[in-house]
Amino acid sequence: MDYLLHVLILIAIYSILSVSLNLISGYAGLLSVAHAALFGVGAYIAALLALHFHANFLVGILCAAIGAGLISLVVAAPSLRIHDDYFVLATFAFQVIAFGVMNNWIGLTGGPMGLPGIPQPTIFGVVISSHAQFLVLAAGFAVIAALLVRRLVRSPFGRVLKAIREDEVFAQSLGKNVMLYKLQVFAIGGGLAAVAGALYAHYITFIDPSSFTVTESIFILAMVIVGGSGSIAGSVVGAVLLVSLPEALRFVGMPSSVAANVRQMLYGGLLVVFMMFRPQGILGEFAFHRK
Amino acid sequence: MTAILEIHNLRKTFDGVSALDGTSLSVEERRIVSLIGPNGAGKTTLFNLVCGFLPSDGGSIIFRGVSFAGMKPHHIAGLGIGRTFQDLRLLRKVTVLDNVMLAFQHQAGEGVLRALAGWKTPREERANIQEARGLLEFVGLQGKAQDLAEALSYGQQKLLTLACCLAMNAELLLLDEPVAGIDPDTSQRILHLLRELRDEGKTIFLIEHNMEAVRAVSDFVVVMDEGRKIAEGTPEAVMQEPAVLEAYLT
Repeated sequence: MDYLLHVLILIAIYSILSVSLNLISGYAGLLSVAHAALFGVGAYIAALLALHFHANFLVGILCAAIGAGLISLVVAAPSLRIHDDYFVLATFAFQVIAFGVMNNWIGLTGGPMGLPGIPQPTIFGVVISSHAQFLVLAAGFAVIAALLVRRLVRSPFGRVLKAIREDEVFAQSLGKNVMLYKLQVFAIGGGLAAVAGALYAHYITFIDPSSFTVTESIFILAMVIVGGSGSIAGSVVGAVLLVSLPEALRFVGMPSSVAANVRQMLYGGLLVVFMMFRPQGILGEFAFHRK
Repeated sequence: MTAILEIHNLRKTFDGVSALDGTSLSVEERRIVSLIGPNGAGKTTLFNLVCGFLPSDGGSIIFRGVSFAGMKPHHIAGLGIGRTFQDLRLLRKVTVLDNVMLAFQHQAGEGVLRALAGWKTPREERANIQEARGLLEFVGLQGKAQDLAEALSYGQQKLLTLACCLAMNAELLLLDEPVAGIDPDTSQRILHLLRELRDEGKTIFLIEHNMEAVRAVSDFVVVMDEGRKIAEGTPEAVMQEPAVLEAYLT
């Protein structure tokens, strides 16, 4: 039973990641492979605040979101001046740098040894200790994140995002400050990724850099693409599929050492198949394409 | 008559090739001014400089007394300059109505916090939808509001871009080939709309190769060749000028 709850908790956390990346990549059309780095930034901020300052869980999650949002701005400001493929490379560079910092700043992050002993969250005096309680918490945050993004993309703000995705020059000619929108979207998406990171840190109670690699970024991007870019429900479907499919491998009797590799191949293969045959994803409205 | 747009000694070179070689011209308000000239004369480059899509290499652009030096395209658009593109830019996968809705300026719901709070946005949206439907009716696209823009004919797409410029509430409309490549009926309708807009107080500055249309609609014509202005005046007078005839024949 705990195992099933564990998978559901992971789905909730990954839904926050895929929905927030969808805002950046699916709605605004900015392909980013730095989402795991921002996920990590959130996890480390929350973990460090909890370990060193005994910060309340909600305070930690708020600080993580603000911190990662600000870092997103710092990364996005120069990166957004370059376009398309080069923008992807710039986010990749940030991803690599962030991993390097997590892995090497041993005094702060513990380096490859990570940060153990992160406390379980306490909300208004209630310790969230069972899987069921944590699922309610994580699902609650996932629902809030999805509603937030939904509200954004359905507003006039979201209309401008779609315009930027479809034709940036047209949006500019209508007086839209394209750069400002991109920065805002990046900061909001990064902040939400950090919320997922904080939840993850408090749930696993241990973090190390291996959870926040570029492979993880591509895993999240695969959820967005498979589920359907430009669709919030699609992002949740993507998270459900990509988290639960590899888990299913355990039940066909595959040893865990093999399953880990098969997992990589599975989502790599899924990405290729979707790019070829259904580039808009299961529920998406928009296919990544060259302009 | 006062000039709404003044361009002085504007220069632009691409890799050493001069596209605009010290062009000066002015557009008076409440007029339809056509910019004509052979291909490669620098007409679209001039539009791109005015709208801020390209930086100039010298000279000045002044709109209602405000100099554009170093301004970004969105800022220039916000001052009241609408623009359509030769290659017809619009959102093809989005509804006709939403294309127009996008064009309204200063929408509160375009701010993140207002969008999240949802406060005032629905009322603003309702008002804008009403206005957008009115503009679509004005350009003759009533009944098409919920269609995707890509489902419109080429001529209808040009009408849609015109509706977008009107939704921006632009005073000066820069239209890059508004009637090129469309059927005579739609073409007549567009020319009629342009006259109507001028009579309502808009200023229209357009690029067009269709001489019949230029003759029919223009109050004033500026002729360019090889990055320079070679003639200007009423359509009839300009078409008689030896320099113009020569530019078109060679």
